[in-house]
Amino acid sequence: MKVLSLLKPYRIPMAIAISLMLVELAVELWQPLLMAQIIDEGIVKNDLNTVTKYGAIMLGASLIALLAGIVNSFFAAYASQNYGFDIRKNLYEKVQSFSFANFNKYPTSSLITRMTNDVNQLQMTLFMSLRIALRAPLLVIGGIILAITVNVKLALAFILIIPPLFVFLVWIMKKSTRLFKMVQERLDHVNGVMRENLIGIRLIRAFARGAHEAKRFFGSNQELMNRTAYALRVTEVVIPVLLLFMNMTVLAVLWFGNIEIQNGTVTVGQVVAVVNYSARITTAFSMFSWIIMVYSRAMASTSRVEEILITEADLKDGSTKLKGEDSTGGRIEFKNVFFRYPDTQTDVLRNICFHANPGETVALLGATGSGKSSLFQLIPRLYDPTQGKVELDGVDIRTLEFDHLRKQIGYVPQEALLFTGTVKENLAWGKEDATIQEMIKATTDAQIHETIEALPNNYEAMLGQKGVNLSGGQKQRLSIARALVKKPRILLLDDSTSALDLKTEATLLAALKQYKCTTLIITQKISTAKEADNILLLVDGEITASGTHDQLMEQSRLYQKIHQSQLGLAESS
Amino acid sequence: MEKITEDSTKNRGGFMKTIKRIWMYISAHKGLLSGVLLMVVASSFLGLLGPFIIGSTIDTHLSVQNASGLGGVLAGLALVYLFHSLSLWLQSYWMVGIAQESVFRMRTQLFSKLHKLPIRFFDKRQSGELMSRVTNDIENVSSTLNSSVIQIFSSILTLIGTLSVMLWLSPLLTLVTMTIVPIMFLGMKWITNRTGKLYKEQQKHLGDLNGFIEESISGQKIIKSFSQEQKVISEFLVKSQNLKQAGYWAQVYAGFIPKLMNVLNNLSFTLVAAAGGIFALNGMVSIGTIVIFTEYARQFTRPLNDLSNQFNTLLSAVAGAERVFDILDEHEEAANEKQATVITHLKGKVEFKDVSFAYEQGGDTVSHLNFRASPGESIALVGPTGAGKSTIINLITRFYEPVNGSIFFDDQDSKNITRDSLRNHMAFVLQDSFLFQGTIRENIRYGRLNASDEEVEQAAIDANAYSFIKRMPKGFDTELSQDGAGISQGQKQLLSIARAILADPSILILDEATSSIDTITELKIQEALKRLMKGRTSFIIAHRLNTIQQADQILVIENGQIIENGSHDNLLKKRGFYHDLFQNQIKKVRAKATP
Repeated sequence: MKVLSLLKPYRIPMAIAISLMLVELAVELWQPLLMAQIIDEGIVKNDLNTVTKYGAIMLGASLIALLAGIVNSFFAAYASQNYGFDIRKNLYEKVQSFSFANFNKYPTSSLITRMTNDVNQLQMTLFMSLRIALRAPLLVIGGIILAITVNVKLALAFILIIPPLFVFLVWIMKKSTRLFKMVQERLDHVNGVMRENLIGIRLIRAFARGAHEAKRFFGSNQELMNRTAYALRVTEVVIPVLLLFMNMTVLAVLWFGNIEIQNGTVTVGQVVAVVNYSARITTAFSMFSWIIMVYSRAMASTSRVEEILITEADLKDGSTKLKGEDSTGGRIEFKNVFFRYPDTQTDVLRNICFHANPGETVALLGATGSGKSSLFQLIPRLYDPTQGKVELDGVDIRTLEFDHLRKQIGYVPQEALLFTGTVKENLAWGKEDATIQEMIKATTDAQIHETIEALPNNYEAMLGQKGVNLSGGQKQRLSIARALVKKPRILLLDDSTSALDLKTEATLLAALKQYKCTTLIITQKISTAKEADNILLLVDGEITASGTHDQLMEQSRLYQKIHQSQLGLAESS
Repeated sequence: MEKITEDSTKNRGGFMKTIKRIWMYISAHKGLLSGVLLMVVASSFLGLLGPFIIGSTIDTHLSVQNASGLGGVLAGLALVYLFHSLSLWLQSYWMVGIAQESVFRMRTQLFSKLHKLPIRFFDKRQSGELMSRVTNDIENVSSTLNSSVIQIFSSILTLIGTLSVMLWLSPLLTLVTMTIVPIMFLGMKWITNRTGKLYKEQQKHLGDLNGFIEESISGQKIIKSFSQEQKVISEFLVKSQNLKQAGYWAQVYAGFIPKLMNVLNNLSFTLVAAAGGIFALNGMVSIGTIVIFTEYARQFTRPLNDLSNQFNTLLSAVAGAERVFDILDEHEEAANEKQATVITHLKGKVEFKDVSFAYEQGGDTVSHLNFRASPGESIALVGPTGAGKSTIINLITRFYEPVNGSIFFDDQDSKNITRDSLRNHMAFVLQDSFLFQGTIRENIRYGRLNASDEEVEQAAIDANAYSFIKRMPKGFDTELSQDGAGISQGQKQLLSIARAILADPSILILDEATSSIDTITELKIQEALKRLMKGRTSFIIAHRLNTIQQADQILVIENGQIIENGSHDNLLKKRGFYHDLFQNQIKKVRAKATP
């Protein structure tokens, strides 16, 4: 198991913590003997010196235990916190390597719970294991051994009762592991509804659907409550049952003890001693319900964490780089590309063939849902084609390192997505070491510099989670600027100017011309497409026509129709 | 990527106040709670009765070898143990119920609270950070409630019991035993002063981390295409490191508690033994008393030990609960005014009278807006990006309330109308079309929850979404995955339009409703939109000229002010800003569109 193997680096601190715990345990077991000494030798014999002597020893021993306990605290906390940290790190790195197909399998909310809540469970369990968990089984074993040394016959009762109790504990543990896994799944669900509500809050408000959503949340919340209560109740059956059986064993000891005493094979003192040990074993047992709960939760969490860790990212990184890294042209070629989304049955792209020469602009035109954005996503390898290949400067992009490939590309997706942070930090996504001059150049070209200047704190202005305090058009322009900062060889604009007014859009597109990069642009507008060196017309995932504006005007009925529609839109009335 | 706002500065009135508030949740279940209490008393009593009977049985039967009646005594003992187990089981069974029910209510309240908070609240916070409060923070409360209440009850009970026996045995020795209590208090204070703070820090860092994870998973497309995985990983590690640090020290300090208690335990034992010895020499107590007393002194420290641990656990619950209560105490969306009434009918007249508004963080500001939209009119908002068009929409939808001036609906001040009932007469197609996880049918039906299947399909037909839906593998019952992945942006907009059509509103708001839709499709739904807009007041933000031209009224907005207002023809005649804008664009489109 990968989760367990992550414990390896902490073998030494763990070993130290456990040895210290054993020291504490030894002192703890010794203490009753010392106390007995104080009473028997000191108090009963009225010998104050003995009292102070053994008292000092006892205090000394407990100070040693205190020291051991404190040092143990440091080591146990060190091991468990670092273990938690390592699991989180591994999980997060794995998730960052996920393809979108992987993401479709695990809802965001579930990934989040796994990285926080489940890791917490594991970390807590390790800490407890290193501090006290061993104590209970050791006390049970110690108690039994001591009982045996007193009288084997009487101790037989324990030897008989313990195995079935052990089986019972294992059974409960298995059952509750399953139950706690369901609890975590319900937690995912609650988290999911919550997330959807937070992201979609505007729409929910706008349609006044708060009550409807509350009902939905109520359902999954209730499920969570019921599952949790059930799982906890199952683990909490343990104590009453264990106590009952242990106590009944004591009754048996008394009953048979009485018979044996009358037979003269056992003394009253022995019976008393065995009964006393049974009381100790019982106390130790009462920790078991708690231990079982902690461990079954941990096992449930382990399997959930493990599931992520062993998931194979199904987009494989390439290993080569393009030769002459800085002089590559940026020629893109699609060769008979077919694509369908994972777990679906229909191809969204069929037999796509085209190329864009270095510095050229290619426009993609097509109806809503014709596959334009899907085609774009193949270039930075967000998805791989199901058939055919995409080449960059004549090299299959699947053989290129992700980093290398993606560094060449400035991608502006349809939905402008900005991150929490300052404007500057968001721009630096394009290029970490970008100077402010480079940023201003990019923002000026993207027609957003003036807007930023007008913000309080300018480039240091904070953007909310999705840059909410900017308008749609401003977000679009900022995300274009982010791509431009990169000075990409290939620029992908996915309908990225849709929220801009025509004037701003025209200025922006004109400014883009000075960038010497291959540009692919998805657009709805003939006026934009017309500027391109090549126009691809997509219908239901196929390129049905391509060429310059003039060629298409002659050859393509559809293109004429689109043209007509926009002329109509522009000139009607 | 720093978090924008922090609320840890808020003073919530401290530990006791929070505890009281948590208690309110538990004590709502008075019946069950007293049942639990009763069972705790019973189990404590039965737990003591058992050993007592055993002790006397040994004396009366085993020691004197008297077997007669032993069977009866043991049967009685068996009964005691049976009830002991039963009372233990019942108390935990009921307590789990109380705890989970309380946590359930806390979650529900938190959720419904979120729906009462102003939109502004969400603009400033990360979804993931808020999610952490519903899961991680409440989880803290939950795990504490499950065990602590019973433990605290029974510890207090045992404490009182042993203390009374001790006082009865020897007040003097009791006093000696009590000398450790101040030390204990000081020690606990030293520890919990630290853990209390650390737990809060821990929850805060956990929330931060949660927020970061959520955002960076939602933003995968950008992270991947900018190949910034390493960057986010290293930022993640910084946050994770913060969490680790707080967690480390919290665990270390909390780990001191049982050790400290153990030393104090031994100290008290030794003190009692030594003092007892001295007293015995002076004949103040008998040796027998000392022997029994030491036994009780040992029992006395156990509940104290438990209480200290529980107190510490409570601190971690408080750290979680405070973050929940912080949200519950947030100011709600400028609550409906007292005089606000529910409207059942809206003709659709909208009037702005000297309305001004500013976002806290700067950005768009609008000032002194005056305009009137008669029922059925269509109003186009025109102006450069960022001029304040979206702000006006936010004011009409009452996501934000004007800082100055008033908005009137059907000549009623908006303050006199409840928000929900007003919004029930509105429908929206927003720029970011948000779809829920669920079927396409459910998503369209969101516009009107009681719409029939036929009505849903008719709305899809009107929005020109029918053909693409039909082509999906399961048609209207196709499941959309999270965040509406799997269909294109344009298709999302078509579904949003269908949703608005289904809602059948008096006021319709189209904010860039067709920006991601190709022009041929747009022409097709143009008819539907026209039909949709008929008889409804509609507000349109669009960049395509013909939509604007057809509007009854055009508001030209610049720098947050209405600089021109009128119909297309009137505005052209004015030869102002709109005229220039129109000329520019028409020229450009013509020049580019005609070969």
